[in-house]
Amino acid sequence: MIRIAAVGDLHYGAGSQDLLRPSLQHLPDRADLLLLAGDLTRCGGTEEVRVLADDLRGLPIPMVAVLGNHDYHANREDEVRRVLEEVGVTVLEGEAVTVDLDGARIGIAGTKGFGGGFRGAHASDFGEPEMKAFVGHTKMLSDRLERALTDLDADLRIALLHYSPIETTLEGERLEIYPFLGSYLLAEAVDNAGADLILHGHAHHGTEKGRTPAGIPVRNVAQPVIRHAYNVYTLDVHRQVMAAAGGVS
Amino acid sequence: MSEWRADYLPEHIRESLIHDPRVAEQDLKVDVKEHRVMLGGNVATPQLRETITEVARELLPGYEIVNETTVVPATEPDGEEPVA
Repeated sequence: MIRIAAVGDLHYGAGSQDLLRPSLQHLPDRADLLLLAGDLTRCGGTEEVRVLADDLRGLPIPMVAVLGNHDYHANREDEVRRVLEEVGVTVLEGEAVTVDLDGARIGIAGTKGFGGGFRGAHASDFGEPEMKAFVGHTKMLSDRLERALTDLDADLRIALLHYSPIETTLEGERLEIYPFLGSYLLAEAVDNAGADLILHGHAHHGTEKGRTPAGIPVRNVAQPVIRHAYNVYTLDVHRQVMAAAGGVS
Repeated sequence: MSEWRADYLPEHIRESLIHDPRVAEQDLKVDVKEHRVMLGGNVATPQLRETITEVARELLPGYEIVNETTVVPATEPDGEEPVA
C-alpha cells in the first residue's frame, strides 16, 4: 500500500512561518510521498517560498510539486522552483518523475494546467489573439501532460495539477468562474494516457471528490477544501499491477 | 481616476485586495452597505486575517470593517482514504 499525502493552495507568505511544520512532524510516519498541488505562495515571491522551504527542509520522504497561478504572479517562477528544489522538492511542469517506494515505481506527471471550462461550454481558440493565447495555453499544457503520462514507465501513475480537470470537484464555486478554474482538456489528456489518481487544487470553495469520464479518481486537495495540513490517499500497488496484467477485473 | 461609484465599490475593493501584495487573496467576498464593509471567505493565517482588515481600512477610511473571514485549520488529518 502506497500512502500519498497531498495538499495545495498553501499560499505561504509573511506570517506563514511554521504553518505546516507542526503537522509535518509526523508526516513520515503517515505517508510515503508528499505531493503539492500549486499556489504554494501568495504572490510568487522568493521570500515567500523560502518560508515554505524552511518548513519542508529535511523531510525524509520524496516531495513533488507543481506551481499554481499565484506562484507565477511575480514572474519569478524559475526562482520559486529553484528554492523548492534546493530543499529536495521535485517541481514538474509538463514533466514526469518516478519514485521507487517499497519496490514499486510510482510515476507522477505534473502541470499547472489552465482554464477554459468544461464540456459543452469550453472556450475556443477562435477570434482575438488573446482568446487564442488563453485556450492555446491550456491545449499546450494538456498535450504535454498526456505525453508525460504516456511515457511514464511505472506501476502507479498520478497526475498532479493545479487547475481542475473536472466540474464535480468545483461544486460549491460560482458557475461564472468555472472557465477560470479548469478545463476538460486536462481530464481528456489523463483519460487518454491512463492514470490511477488525479490531484488538483485551485478551487477553494469546491468539493474534494470526483471522477473523470473514464472513471479515474480526482481529488481536490486545496487546503481550504480539505481543511487539514494535508490529506492521505492510499493506493494498492499490487492490485494495480495485477489489474494491468489482467489478473484483477 | 474618478471616484468609485457605490454600485461598483465592492468589486473595486475586492480587486484592490487581490492586488495588494500584503493580501493577494482571490477568495474574498466583499459587500458594502452604507458605510459598512463586510468581508468573507477563507484565509490561511490569523495574521493575514488582521492584515485584510487593515488594508480594507486604508482603502475606505471612515467605513466600519466587519471581517467575517475564516482561518482555515492546518491540523493533521484523522485518517486516510483508499482511492485505488
